[in-house]
Amino acid sequence: MVFNSLTFVVFFTVLLLLHRMPFSWTTKKVNLLIASYLFYAAWNPPFVILLWISTLVDWLVARRLYESTRVARRRAWLLISLAVNLGFLAFFKYGEFLLANWQALMATVGVTWVPPEWNIILPVGISFYTFQTLSYTLDVYLGRSKPLRSMLDFSLFVTFFPQLVAGPIVRPGQLVPQFAVPRQATRDQLSWGLGLMTLGLFMKIVIADSGLAQSADLVFGAEKPVGFADAWLGTLAFSGQIFCDFAGYSTIAIGTALCFGFALPDNFRMPYAAIGFSDFWRRWHISLSTWLRDYLYIPLGGNRGSDARTYVNLMLTMLLGGLWHGAAWTFVVWGGLHGLYLAGERWIRARTGVPGDPAGPWNRLLLALLTYFLVNITWVFFRADTFAGAARILQGMGGLAAEPVAVLPTIFMIKVAVLITGIVAIQWLMRKRSLEEVVARTPWWLTGLVAAAMLLAVIVSQGSGEAFIYFQF
Amino acid sequence: MKTLEDEETRRVIPGARWDVAWWLTVALVVVGVGAWEWKMRSLGLRAGDLGDGASHWTVERRKIAAGEHDDVVIFGSSRILFDTDFAVWQIMTGRRPVQLALPGTSPRFLLKRFARDADFDGLVIVGVTPEAFFSEFTTAFPEYLTVNDLWREESPSQRFGHGVGLLLSRYLAFLDDNYRLGQLIDRVDIPDRPGVRRPFMEVWKLSETSEDRQYFLWPRLMTDSRLLAHAKSVWLARSRPPAAAELVERICSDVGQDIARIRARGGEVVFVRPPSAGAYYEREQIVAPRAVTWDRLLRVTGAPGIHFEDYQHMQDLEIPEMSHLSRDSATRFTRAYVGLLAELYPWLDQRAVAGSAL
Repeated sequence: MVFNSLTFVVFFTVLLLLHRMPFSWTTKKVNLLIASYLFYAAWNPPFVILLWISTLVDWLVARRLYESTRVARRRAWLLISLAVNLGFLAFFKYGEFLLANWQALMATVGVTWVPPEWNIILPVGISFYTFQTLSYTLDVYLGRSKPLRSMLDFSLFVTFFPQLVAGPIVRPGQLVPQFAVPRQATRDQLSWGLGLMTLGLFMKIVIADSGLAQSADLVFGAEKPVGFADAWLGTLAFSGQIFCDFAGYSTIAIGTALCFGFALPDNFRMPYAAIGFSDFWRRWHISLSTWLRDYLYIPLGGNRGSDARTYVNLMLTMLLGGLWHGAAWTFVVWGGLHGLYLAGERWIRARTGVPGDPAGPWNRLLLALLTYFLVNITWVFFRADTFAGAARILQGMGGLAAEPVAVLPTIFMIKVAVLITGIVAIQWLMRKRSLEEVVARTPWWLTGLVAAAMLLAVIVSQGSGEAFIYFQF
Repeated sequence: MKTLEDEETRRVIPGARWDVAWWLTVALVVVGVGAWEWKMRSLGLRAGDLGDGASHWTVERRKIAAGEHDDVVIFGSSRILFDTDFAVWQIMTGRRPVQLALPGTSPRFLLKRFARDADFDGLVIVGVTPEAFFSEFTTAFPEYLTVNDLWREESPSQRFGHGVGLLLSRYLAFLDDNYRLGQLIDRVDIPDRPGVRRPFMEVWKLSETSEDRQYFLWPRLMTDSRLLAHAKSVWLARSRPPAAAELVERICSDVGQDIARIRARGGEVVFVRPPSAGAYYEREQIVAPRAVTWDRLLRVTGAPGIHFEDYQHMQDLEIPEMSHLSRDSATRFTRAYVGLLAELYPWLDQRAVAGSAL
């Protein structure tokens, strides 16, 4: 089920009413659990079984891990969890990719091998809930937390519908304690939750789908070389589309959870106002970047070893982070570029002593724009289906395309220019402020007016239920 | 060891006068939606116009799978959609065909899958729009490429959402795919660079749709000369190269194989060529001349065909934008072609019981 659908409007309304009925807390949690399974099954019912298996395995493994004292046995239990969770991921998400690469590898040594036809559907959000359940097992294995006592709470942690299919990826400690005591949103929480949902829907339906998606699709779908303006505007459109699509989803998720009295962590903090790439990754998809930091980068050694080892750890983390997004080498290159940027930034800072936040507003603005420029280069690989497609766009962006064709209508160019300028300017102005701070300082009538304008735009835009981009990851 | 409670997320709720802010929001949205609805109705949109799309098609396709309507199905492009009046069908035959024609789409790829996958043994009517049928063209709408799978795989969420959408469309006129805010913005007429496909020259609203995907030409086109001129200019701007003889031969051969499959299980296939007019019709004589396309199709496939040029009572029909019949003419055309079908397939003929209704 997608948030931007009439089905969700009905689902949310009924569930919220149920949650505000005078049932026991356990009954309300059971309601939420069943609703979460329905939320997932509404897309493809059989795949709920994957959720059940994942839940059951990690529940049992975590208890055995905690009870075992022998290192070998603990490792064996951990391996079972990793094998099941990553096995699902490998089969459903990377199966075809692995076979295709194996085929290519065999071809290089002269062996002709045709892989079987691969008609496996990718379960929505499998990368998200796999990482979420893994974090629980890994926390218990690493001695960071005890296993949960309540299977109901653990099941709800794995399945909680607002963030089930596209995050934020929540750690057990962030969410499970909230299941311990009865929760019902206060009027202020409900109001703010609905406000966040409105903002998220506006970002998704009005900005991402109606405003920018067509331009990105036209440019990246062009079969001939595109010129400088088209290539740049198409890439900028995608940068705005993916931000508004994904941050929009996260905002709706946070707002939805808040309407039920639960708090989810932030996933985005004005990423296009970042100065440098370590700053960018503190602002973009925060729940993934911190997951990779805590469960991959630090266990690899982080920056505790030599400089060379730190750079290797950085690259490995970002390459795997790229692969997490999709089973294609273009995603690996996207991650690799970010790894190179992070390593380069680290190298420059170590040698020049440039601080993370340089003095002078113009310096900060220039560095932020440079960061955004370089981020856009990476988006080319993220959005393009093939390296040839990415090369075509990059040639256009460099003004090097031979006999380029014009693809963007004037009205699309105007929309991209206006929306991207707006997105970047707003993020720059709110670089050091949270949305909550801004709203708290805004007069109530202006808040009401802006919310009305956004809601009205959502309604008359009539979202066609386009899936969120990150569902495919 | 730290406890889970140590990491618990907390969110700051901005202090504001939320009650009055939300009342203001609700009031403004109600007024805004009301004003928008009024404006859309003044433009000719109507509550009860159910629209069309992939989900609408899947509902009809499932009727065949469920055996609800297993005797007549229609494939084709937009013309057979607009030009078929189910009320006439109901009166003349006691049946309502399953309407599987898709606008801006060649019926050939759907017919191929239907011939292979379905166990349908009734009558298949294939509407032929020459430029779409005798070309490599598949569809102008990518969402239609997957309808053949979607009718089996549509998620419970999509089905439920479609039902809610239909319900709302019965009461709200502004819920029209052609009048979304984004589309209205894209249709601003400003100059474009040479070679760019202009949103202004996309097809605008042409139809109203009711139950069972019953299309009719949008009445506003009959009165709004600007919209009519736009529709005509769009058709004339979309020229295709003349159909090559080899391509026509291949198409006829492919379709012949599909028909053979349907016939092998007891079904029948008949082609219908709805009328066109003016410069569009003249272009069709160049791009897909009847002698080398339609006539060849009938000869190769051995299927019967009804061409509007061959029947006196299919002449002088009203075709305001050169491609689709007005509502009255659609009724006349349907009466004419169903009458001919009933001569070909006597099991269709119910006129004896229709009495004076006709």
